Amino acid sequence: MATADGGAYSYSLTVFSPSGKLVQIEHALAAVSQGTTSLGIKASNGIVIATEKKSSSILIDDSMIEKVAVICPNIGIVYSGMGPDFRILIAKARKSAQAYWKIYGEYPPTLVLTQEIATVMQQATQSGGVRPYGVSLLVAGYDVHRGPTLYQVDPSGSYWAWKASAIGKNMINAKTFLEKRYNDDISLEDAIHTALLTLKEGFEGQMTEKTLEIGIITVPSTEELEAGKIGGETGRPKPTFRKLTEEEVRDYLAL
Amino acid sequence: MPDMSVLAGPQQHQFNPYAENGGTILAIAGADFTVVAGDTRQSEGYSIQTRYAPKVFRLTDRAVLAVNGFAADGNMFVKKVKQRLEWYRHAHAKDMPLRAIARLIQTMLYAQRFFPYYVYNILGGIEEDGSGAVYSFDPVGSYEREACRAAGAAQSLVQPFLDNQIYFKNQTAAPGQSHPTHLPLSDVLSIVIDSFTSATERHIEVGDGLEIYIVLAKGRSLQGVEGLRGLREMSSREDGERVFVLQRELKKD
Amino acid sequence: MSIMDHNGGSVIAMAGKDCVAIASDLRLGAGAQTIAMNFEKVFPVTDRLYMGLPGLATDVITLREKFRYLTNMFHIKESRPLQPSTFAHLLSSTLYERRFGPYFCEPVLAGLELTPSGTYQPYIAGTDLIGCLNFAKDFIVAGTASDKLFGVAEGLWEPDLGPEDLFETISQTLLNSVDRDAYSGWGAIVHVITADKVVTRTLKGRMD
Repeated sequence: MATADGGAYSYSLTVFSPSGKLVQIEHALAAVSQGTTSLGIKASNGIVIATEKKSSSILIDDSMIEKVAVICPNIGIVYSGMGPDFRILIAKARKSAQAYWKIYGEYPPTLVLTQEIATVMQQATQSGGVRPYGVSLLVAGYDVHRGPTLYQVDPSGSYWAWKASAIGKNMINAKTFLEKRYNDDISLEDAIHTALLTLKEGFEGQMTEKTLEIGIITVPSTEELEAGKIGGETGRPKPTFRKLTEEEVRDYLAL
Repeated sequence: MPDMSVLAGPQQHQFNPYAENGGTILAIAGADFTVVAGDTRQSEGYSIQTRYAPKVFRLTDRAVLAVNGFAADGNMFVKKVKQRLEWYRHAHAKDMPLRAIARLIQTMLYAQRFFPYYVYNILGGIEEDGSGAVYSFDPVGSYEREACRAAGAAQSLVQPFLDNQIYFKNQTAAPGQSHPTHLPLSDVLSIVIDSFTSATERHIEVGDGLEIYIVLAKGRSLQGVEGLRGLREMSSREDGERVFVLQRELKKD
Repeated sequence: MSIMDHNGGSVIAMAGKDCVAIASDLRLGAGAQTIAMNFEKVFPVTDRLYMGLPGLATDVITLREKFRYLTNMFHIKESRPLQPSTFAHLLSSTLYERRFGPYFCEPVLAGLELTPSGTYQPYIAGTDLIGCLNFAKDFIVAGTASDKLFGVAEGLWEPDLGPEDLFETISQTLLNSVDRDAYSGWGAIVHVITADKVVTRTLKGRMD
């Protein structure tokens, strides 16, 4: 029974192995660590999340691929692992953010949305007929109460707040790299460069604006927050999360 | 959509002889003067029929009548009161005293007990003893002498304000002091104007213009309010009671 | 007679300079009959936010408990202060959930909102019984004496009143209005909210 592949405990989710493990979750983590590397760094005035965008064939139109996703104007997510699973989670997260908006007239704080996603992911480890999500997420967001925050969510539904973290294939090396590079008063500009340098370690192929995706959180000024209460010229508050355009990524790469 | 109403039985029509034309009136008695005011908007439903339809009328040099409710009835009623006052002058060679006008109005209203004038009346003026007086009526002639009264569309907005500002309701005088029983004319005019601007702000049937009649007892001067913008004398003689009208604009939206 | 008038009662909120006030009468009736003279209609939501609920008494209590639950859940889940503007939207969406079978209450809010610069700003709002929000700079009225309250408040209120003057203004407005309303009265309760404290006073009115 006790074979290398997990044996009798490897398929049924609701059954612990005698050693106290849920093996399917470990398999899901294995799927994550096969995924492309993603990372996030919290700076003094913002956050950067970035990932390597790798396609298996040059024939694929990679402008279609989206690995950094906007959830709501103050929150963005990047993932490592299985793309299709990520898509489902994004849809659920966006719906959750809008449901929150419908009740409170404002978008959820980062922690609340992270908990919401973590709950969805946890449920897939305890319900019948499903498998865990094969992704880890880095959730970057801004809210008035906690400021800029960066969370990691794993297939088990566990989540942590990070100053900087990496997930996916090269996460061990990337984390070691970040530990060396990180300090508490790094600026967003420096963080973006650190993110690029970190990804460069173990990057497969050429690092260009086509093979990178970057999202940033910018901390709004008091004036912008006051204007945001009213909704500014557009009737919407200015987003604090946005994805960098290919031009912007190219400019950062050139530096 | 086909007209199905025929199926609902015979169509019945009812003529309604009354309308409600909005607006508000108000009167306050002082020690030796009375102020009677009304806005000049006349409306039916959400439509404004005219922005200038007076609701306050000089009856004699010592009596002013404000009418509010169904404008047609109000105008006809004022006309009939004026006619009765003229007959009185012909018979007695003097103006009818205020308290007699009040009783006359009761009689005239009650005469229409079963097809009433749909009108709330407020009569203001100077009594024979020289005091300011306000009489208020219901449509069938119940009446009462008071120090102040509001009636019409914004009665519910204005009356509690008057209770507070004229009768000093819910206010306690400082120890050893008491509230005045009568306010000076300038204070009364401020309260009247405030009442109407407030009512105009919060009631759609009140607005456009404001006419404030001031009746002064014999020998009483205007005392500091003679310089007011839009003040005009209406009295027929200078040696008796005197009537003035003060016209003001109200918001038209 | 409308079901909104069955139990009677009125609420008013006013904004001042760096303070707000909210007050209600204390009557609970069943039509013309008075049942109780100690029925408060204003409840604390947070340290700096109070909600008045005039209307059908059973719904007053139901909504009070519902919002107690919802605000407790908010604090537990989000562990952050609940701002008046956030609560106003929660109120609005909760009432609109019952669009076709509403709670017969017209809530009134009075509180102080934390601004991004760290100061507190007066915040008053009212809704109809299905949650249509009405933000006002001056005052919000609701209940069986609302027309009277409109008239008196429009006459007495002025901008930038301090806490003591605001207390006097809201108290006079409420007392004189409910004295002309058969369904409201029997005393009143007034809360004046400033950044550092809430002062609550019970008023005797005409007890008839």
